[in-house]
Amino acid sequence: MAVDESYRTYSHPVYDFMMKVPGLDVMTTTVDKLLSFGSEASLWIFPVATSCCGIEFMALAASRVDADRMGAIVRGSPRHSDVMIVAGTITVKMAPRVKKLWDQMPEPKWAIAVGSCAISGDFYRNIYSVVPGIDTFIPVDVYVPGCPPNPEAMMHGLIRLQEKIRASANGRDVNREARPEAVHHQRLPRLPILGDPARTSELDRQQVASAASLGWWDELNLEQALDSVAKDLADESESEPKV
Amino acid sequence: MKLLGAENSEEVQKLLIEQFEAMENSLGGPPVVAVVRHLELAKKLRDEYQYRIFGFVVAAHYPAPAKDANGVGELIRVSYGLRSVGKGTKLATWQVCIPVDGAIPTLVPLFAGADWQEREQFDLVGVRFDGHPDPRRLMLSEDWQGHPLRKDYAIDTKVHPWR
Repeated sequence: MAVDESYRTYSHPVYDFMMKVPGLDVMTTTVDKLLSFGSEASLWIFPVATSCCGIEFMALAASRVDADRMGAIVRGSPRHSDVMIVAGTITVKMAPRVKKLWDQMPEPKWAIAVGSCAISGDFYRNIYSVVPGIDTFIPVDVYVPGCPPNPEAMMHGLIRLQEKIRASANGRDVNREARPEAVHHQRLPRLPILGDPARTSELDRQQVASAASLGWWDELNLEQALDSVAKDLADESESEPKV
Repeated sequence: MKLLGAENSEEVQKLLIEQFEAMENSLGGPPVVAVVRHLELAKKLRDEYQYRIFGFVVAAHYPAPAKDANGVGELIRVSYGLRSVGKGTKLATWQVCIPVDGAIPTLVPLFAGADWQEREQFDLVGVRFDGHPDPRRLMLSEDWQGHPLRKDYAIDTKVHPWR
């Protein structure tokens, strides 16, 4: 039985163009478009599945719906991931953890709020321990409504996110809309990263100490290395001629 | 309606009323035992009546005065339940009333299973358990202010910065 190539469940403008032109194996494009094509076709997911939406999310990754056919695979580490899918109720105790994981994801990154609890808190909204929507602390790109939404709806959310990435590569403005009162929390990382003026040498020292407490880091003598780097930087700035 | 106190077997009910001077519960719950005799009662049930499994401890805050002389003013009612499997599955329940700023002796030395349950009641209702080995919050974050299952905990209390 021959494979019917006209039937494709997922298509992309680049694929479509290359399929239409016979013998085409080289094409030119801009770097932005190439990079955005790479981003949208390899959306690695970091799941934060805290309740029943998480069960539907598992069906999204399983064989019937199969998010993998558009390059979206589920990863267990925020440092490998491009898109955080928050599926479920986020409590006040969980929110700082989610924010910390979000801060650990490398740019560019996107967030999808799945289900009415992640979007607005739903009927748990007024309970003392529930956060009324994850957009109070992280910026959200796509909202997938439902209680819970079915896996096809989540797939639709991923496709909308791809459209968004493509639109931003084409120069259209797709900035995330945030609640005005929440922008401060969304932009403020809990730990200032390297190069941030808010970062102190005390924090450097604490992080090195915690790394050293793992054991074999002692051999690297990181603390001394850090001191010498700081000393070099200080010398450099002193010897730098004033303009 | 079958009352919770009626769950007690006859011998436990007799023990509660005759030896521990338990009073009838005005709200229809289990018999009310004085705080000072609470630990003694639990020890007796465990050692002499084979109630060796810790069932539950549940606290409830009553802001208004109770209807009769069982409690005066604002109080917290703490209900206890022990289980026995040696003599068929049976339940022994009783209740202790304390003022909101009062304390109650812990049952952790008698039943290891009471540890987390008492921590939960401390966390949500604010019951103080005297002599608890690890009196930290169990469910909410450690810097939480107040006890949310108290009736005077406002629903719009600010939890910075998430709410």
